[in-house]
Amino acid sequence: MLAMDKTKAQAWAHGFYVHAIGLTRRSPTFVAGLCMVLFFLGVAIFAGVIAPYSPTESFSYDILRAPSDRFIFGSDGNGMDVFSRVIYGCRYAFGIAVPAGLIMVGIGLPLGLIAGYKGGLLDEVLLRTLDVLRAFPTIILALAVVAATGQSLISMVVVIGVLDSPIFARVVRAEVLNLRASTFVKAAVAMGNPAWRVMVVHILPNAILGATAQLPMRMAWAVRISATLAFIGVGIQAPTPEWGAMIRQGAEYVITGEWWAALFPGLALMLLVFGFNLLGDGLTDILDPKRRGVGK
Amino acid sequence: MGGQTARIARFIGVRLAVSAPVILGIVFLTFMLIRMGGQDPVAMLAGPMADEAMLNALRAQLQLDQPLLAQFANYMVRIAHGDLGVSWQGGIPVLNEIRHLFPATLELVLLSVALAALIGIPIGMRAATKPNGWFDQISRFASLAGFSMPTYWMGLMAILVFFYILRWAPAPMGRLSMEVAAPAVVTGSILVDALLEGNWRALGSALAHLALPVACFTMLAAAPMIKQTRAIVIEIMGSDYVRYARANGFSAATVRRMALRNAATPLLTFLGSELTSLLAAAALIEYIFSLSGLGQWGLNAILLGDFAVVQGYVLTLALFSMAIFMVIDLIVMLIEPRN
Repeated sequence: MLAMDKTKAQAWAHGFYVHAIGLTRRSPTFVAGLCMVLFFLGVAIFAGVIAPYSPTESFSYDILRAPSDRFIFGSDGNGMDVFSRVIYGCRYAFGIAVPAGLIMVGIGLPLGLIAGYKGGLLDEVLLRTLDVLRAFPTIILALAVVAATGQSLISMVVVIGVLDSPIFARVVRAEVLNLRASTFVKAAVAMGNPAWRVMVVHILPNAILGATAQLPMRMAWAVRISATLAFIGVGIQAPTPEWGAMIRQGAEYVITGEWWAALFPGLALMLLVFGFNLLGDGLTDILDPKRRGVGK
Repeated sequence: MGGQTARIARFIGVRLAVSAPVILGIVFLTFMLIRMGGQDPVAMLAGPMADEAMLNALRAQLQLDQPLLAQFANYMVRIAHGDLGVSWQGGIPVLNEIRHLFPATLELVLLSVALAALIGIPIGMRAATKPNGWFDQISRFASLAGFSMPTYWMGLMAILVFFYILRWAPAPMGRLSMEVAAPAVVTGSILVDALLEGNWRALGSALAHLALPVACFTMLAAAPMIKQTRAIVIEIMGSDYVRYARANGFSAATVRRMALRNAATPLLTFLGSELTSLLAAAALIEYIFSLSGLGQWGLNAILLGDFAVVQGYVLTLALFSMAIFMVIDLIVMLIEPRN
């Protein structure tokens, strides 16, 4: 009994190992991105265990200390531990990226599906909205809307999610346009399926793959833009351990050589955004069978 | 020849007619968004000592007490007369400010996009010759890393390394060092003006001040350029006519040359969208390096609630992007033999 369990476990481990190697060969970017994002997710979940201090605990005798044994990333202008703040910052990054991503999918997926399949007025409106967004500096739009709706975390998430949903919709729409011309969809229509059924049962499962690959990149954007807003001074404010707000606070000391308060949160921000981008890039490769075979 | 001119004229006419509603939409959206926002520009302008009567007087002076649509109609009438209003904080006509600040931003953006194209296009082409080969993987990793860096943070770190530690770069304040006399203003671009005047000291100082921001911006701009070039070239190399040319026995070099000529159009279009998106992104780089360009001005105006300036800024960006896309589409139309 026990022996069988052991061989089963071994077989499973071996299978996992073979798959992991194969996946790494096929798309090193995907595996690297996945590892990075999972690492940060782990840090976010176990922030309370990893961080040596509370992220907002101020040591008034230790202002702007260089990195040392006591403060491995140094301490900031308020005498707070930069390391603990960077760790807790992960929670804000995921706390914005994940719900904002869900909002994007929630609005963008049905919008792109209907616009792509039905065309007509909705499609026209979607395309014009994209034109406006393209000519409109996103950061300014986000600034204006966040200023308008109040500077809470929730309003920030909603603004980012809603602002990005037409871009998500465009990806879905392109996918749907391709699928609509395919034989199996034509067959489904010829069989007399109602439009909603063709959309939900035949097109959606096929369109969702391309959309999935897009999601990590949009999340990368969400992490980035929320940090940028905080850096400018809109959105999440200073003592909150959010990376953009921390860079803002540390920026004034860079020119006099106290680099640690700005360097570490920026590094974390960059690595997480990088991870999300790698993940999305790799997913595009894996999920797109057309691109898989390119170049033999 | 006459047919050609007529075609160009018709193209421009149609494009203007299509763009007008988009521009109008952007202006309207900006106008309403900033006014419905939580900011009270009057309180910021008047300061903490102002009493209710002063606030009301100021509100009336800025016409903020009128209904929103009436304010908008008013604004549109003034735009039609070429009057963009006066900056609330400084009292300077917005149009003058734009004329004065736009060249600085354009300098930064054009230099960065040109450099990014020079670096990104060859790398993208090289990566496309062997997709998923080692060069492709490395260039993809590197470009995604560059793209993932927050621009403002990259700027800060560049200041730390090249100004504070190495002392190579001048202090990140302004477009010229204090001791250097600025060249007479002709175009507004210090680089061009200094060249026209033969003022080498000013040219050198301006270049030194631009080096770091341009380097940061180029890194940001090169990544999508590499990615796009790679995708375009891969698509073309896999197309039917390339396969046909190969089957006909043309040498690899000839096939490549034929294929790359067809990559020019999509690349140009992409370059246009890069230009417009970088023009908007310039705000943060200008802010970090105190380059006092259009972006920094617009960003400040948003934070201070200077509505007249915000509107002028967004309108400039919208008009610029429209013009860029029009010019590029026109070039594409003229060089594309199929039309």
